[in-house]
Amino acid sequence: MTLSLVLSLLALALVRGTPILLAALGGVLSERAGIVNIALEGEMTAGAFAAALLSYFTRDPWIGAIGGVAVGAAVGFALGFAATRWRVDQIVAGMGINLICTGGAAFGLIYVFNQAGVTPQVPAINQALWPMVVLGIALAAALQWAIARTPIGLRLRACGENPHAARAAGIDPLAVRLYASAIAGGLAGLGGVFLALGELNLYSDGMIAGRGFIALAAVIFGRWTPIGAAGVALIFGLLEALQFALQGNIAWLPSDFLQALPYIAALLALLGASGRYRPPAAEGKPYP
Amino acid sequence: MLDDVDLTCEAGEIHALVGENGAGKSTLAAIAAGEIAADAGTIERSGRIGLVHQHFALIDRLRVWENVVLGHEPQRGGAIDRGSARAFVRELGERYGLDVDPEAVVETLPVGIRQRVELLRELARDPGILILDEPTAALSPSEVERLFGTIALLTQRGVGVLVITHKLDEVFAHARRVTVLRRGRVVEERPISATTREGVARAMIGGEIPAIPAHEPTHGAIAVRVAGLAVPGAIENLSLQIATGEILGIAGVEGNGQSALADALAGLTAFRGTIERPHSIGVIPQDRLLEAVIPNWSLLENVMLGREHATSAKASWRIDRAAARAQCTAIVERFDVRAASIDAPLSTLSGGNQQKLVVGRALVDNPAFVIAYNPTRGIDIGATATVHTELLAARNRGAAILLISFELDELFALSDRILVMTRGALRGEFSERRFDREAIGRLMVSA
Amino acid sequence: MNRESAKALAIGTFGVAAAMSLAMIASHVSPIVGFNAFFYGAFGGKQEIAETLASTTALLFPALGIAIAFRAGLFNIGAEGQLLIGGLLAGWIGTRIDVPPAIAIAAIFLAGAIGGALWGAIAGWLKAARDANEVISTLMLNFIAASLALYLVTGPLRAPDAAGPELSLLPHAYWLPTLLSHTRATIALPIALLAAFALRYVLDSTWFGYRLRAAGEAPEAARRAGISLSRVALWAMAWSGALAGMGGAALVAGELHRFNTQLSPGYGFIAIAVALVGGLEPLTICIAALAFGALESGGLALQAAAAVPKDAIHVIEGLLVFALAARRYLGARGAGAR
Repeated sequence: MTLSLVLSLLALALVRGTPILLAALGGVLSERAGIVNIALEGEMTAGAFAAALLSYFTRDPWIGAIGGVAVGAAVGFALGFAATRWRVDQIVAGMGINLICTGGAAFGLIYVFNQAGVTPQVPAINQALWPMVVLGIALAAALQWAIARTPIGLRLRACGENPHAARAAGIDPLAVRLYASAIAGGLAGLGGVFLALGELNLYSDGMIAGRGFIALAAVIFGRWTPIGAAGVALIFGLLEALQFALQGNIAWLPSDFLQALPYIAALLALLGASGRYRPPAAEGKPYP
Repeated sequence: MLDDVDLTCEAGEIHALVGENGAGKSTLAAIAAGEIAADAGTIERSGRIGLVHQHFALIDRLRVWENVVLGHEPQRGGAIDRGSARAFVRELGERYGLDVDPEAVVETLPVGIRQRVELLRELARDPGILILDEPTAALSPSEVERLFGTIALLTQRGVGVLVITHKLDEVFAHARRVTVLRRGRVVEERPISATTREGVARAMIGGEIPAIPAHEPTHGAIAVRVAGLAVPGAIENLSLQIATGEILGIAGVEGNGQSALADALAGLTAFRGTIERPHSIGVIPQDRLLEAVIPNWSLLENVMLGREHATSAKASWRIDRAAARAQCTAIVERFDVRAASIDAPLSTLSGGNQQKLVVGRALVDNPAFVIAYNPTRGIDIGATATVHTELLAARNRGAAILLISFELDELFALSDRILVMTRGALRGEFSERRFDREAIGRLMVSA
Repeated sequence: MNRESAKALAIGTFGVAAAMSLAMIASHVSPIVGFNAFFYGAFGGKQEIAETLASTTALLFPALGIAIAFRAGLFNIGAEGQLLIGGLLAGWIGTRIDVPPAIAIAAIFLAGAIGGALWGAIAGWLKAARDANEVISTLMLNFIAASLALYLVTGPLRAPDAAGPELSLLPHAYWLPTLLSHTRATIALPIALLAAFALRYVLDSTWFGYRLRAAGEAPEAARRAGISLSRVALWAMAWSGALAGMGGAALVAGELHRFNTQLSPGYGFIAIAVALVGGLEPLTICIAALAFGALESGGLALQAAAAVPKDAIHVIEGLLVFALAARRYLGARGAGAR
């Protein structure tokens, strides 16, 4: 294997891994605050669809990008609101949100563009692809520092571990969880923007293709730390890139197996690392 | 819960709030500290009211200093100034005799040290009044002395300290005033000098303490034999024997391997060494709501838990509902469980009645071996008397009983023999009901 | 039915009606016309009722399976994959045996159950032996199942007469008898209803069901009472997968008459909503499955007759699930107002 091949493989891994990384950072943030985020998939979908839609109508991809992040954040806010004010079961609510977002995007495609499955081509920000990759990695480092070292990070962790103790220390766990969930949605939305406007220039049904769930796995395998989750997300990206690189090159390896590679890897990781993953103590538990 | 309660705690005094479990003490403390709201009434305070909870409200996976400075973190350049946070904790600890390693993660600390952390956290906020809810429940005698030393330092600095307890020894040794709460009402408030121990006890209970049956020697053959028991991280090379018709009491401070011992004997954890015990066993677990019952389920379904063979005609796959109902009714009657119906959710019962059901479930099949772990923790005196009576009755029927308790009074009332457990090993043996409180207390904290 | 669930039902029905009206108005369709098309599509005639019943059946099997896992405290998100593997094994067996039709149909259902059970048991074993998070493992297994099925039908099991990613057609004698002639409503529906009654009996009246519920409700208390949590996890996931796999078998033998990788348009995911709306109780799940079945077939009719995209139905289902998650809050408010 030549050096240039390795480099292009790594470049592809970064591009493939970044949307997962962004969503996983969101997942870390909301879960460290105590909200299980199974809705990352829906938030990515909402972000990608909104970005394509806004870019189409304004002809300005940057407005699309900002809109995608905002819509993702709004979905995250809805999950956070239901989780904190209505004390819903967060996994059930997250699944509901996923149904609403994927169904809503499909409905929106037909309603707005009068065609099923895919938007027309829209103005994109492909030139910002690499800056966004760098931004993702920088965000991971920044979040790692913020969660470990800043007052807000300490308070976030307190809310995810023991909201009652946080309350006694004068912190409002409901507000922390709500905003963490909204920011998480924004990050997942940014992941969707990356796919729709960074890599491609459209939204199509099913384009998120389980990346939100893969991001959730990255959160767990990364042990709820931004750097860890980012690393795992990039490994998933590498597995996806390998799949492209190996496709057709190795006769005896069926391509369907390559497609399943990231999922098989995740399953093996679950198998190999039993009991070493401890989620935040109050994760998923409604407060008060 | 509470009705028309007046309570005054003055600066620099130790004020004891006593009452039975369920009298409303913890509720009153939470209202005073502003954690929950009262329906009516006012609270006047000079300065902050700090509350040290009975079940410590610490964040287990954070470091000591993180717990202490949470909400008022010293900052430098946007980040927490960790150096000054650590120094602050160390300094505060030195001032009040509460030395703790600021870097330690709370979940790695023993119970007594965790309480210091909780005290530090409240002291960091400079309270005018400090409320301590059952502060000595899990402490060894020497730790209790140390705690009251710290409290004395606080009162010298003008802090008013309200101690919630049901241990009258501590009240009479340290407090200046005492308030007695019964069923949500203040039934007595006066200076310690103007009251007697018997008077306070009567006020707490609203009558005389129920008597429990006398001990008669019934010892027989050895029923339980443990040799060379080891549970990783908890117990090393432990041996004991229990005879039929004997209650062996295990004294000790929480966290010295008692849970591992109980679990190993019940067959719930892996161990090395040998355990010989009868097959029929009844267990009263330590944590009722978490380990013993399913609160959302009915009394009937709870009584079936762990008693599949006893409830089925044979080892059947089908539940024999009629038999289960009959057994549940029998337990409810025999153990005086007060419930609207056996189909009512268990959570609708008081803690004492829930515990009577748990004890009934453990004893109804006349097991040859009983493990009772803090069988009366957190229940009222009436229910406690029922539980004690039934444990003694089981002993008199010939059961071997292992009684693990953090309450020396309970051990003294029930045990035929007492061993002291520290750091996963058994020390000392006090037999023939000749129990030396001082000696046992010393052993509890020996290394 | 208690006051809280009655209130939740009323709010849910009203919410669905309101959301559907909005979707219709957004698509420039009068709600009167739209609801007319919807109800005609769901219940208007023999063919329409049969379509509703077919969707009901397809949702009921996996929903019952999901209920088993959820009652045991396991968030089985993997019914879709279990259904697929069950259908694959059923479709393969159906083309391999030569026996009387009744036995063949029994064998096809059994194969579906075994396939689904094995796929579910993987997640169950991971949970039991390695304490692996079942949400993640079942999700991953869905993706793996899709890849595996695609690989097998396009590779080793490739059928000579296949037009797409599918196995050979089942012999005509093995097709499930229909309830209404020339429709897709088959005897799979009574089989599913039977399974619901059986499940209710198992949960309420057997020690297996008791242990399963205890492990789900209070794992620590159950463990201390001598219930093996790992055994419960393994068997609950296996049975959960078995029911989903029977759903796959029903689709194979009753609707497509062969295995195709496009067997399920997400029944395994919608069934989660069905199970939750049915309160994880087998008999109420039957009613929920009928409601969702009507939504599915009525939604298709709505798309055909009134040009309201079918995907609107998924938004409505999502809203239902979301509202359901909030029912404790809504119920508590009701209690407060009383």
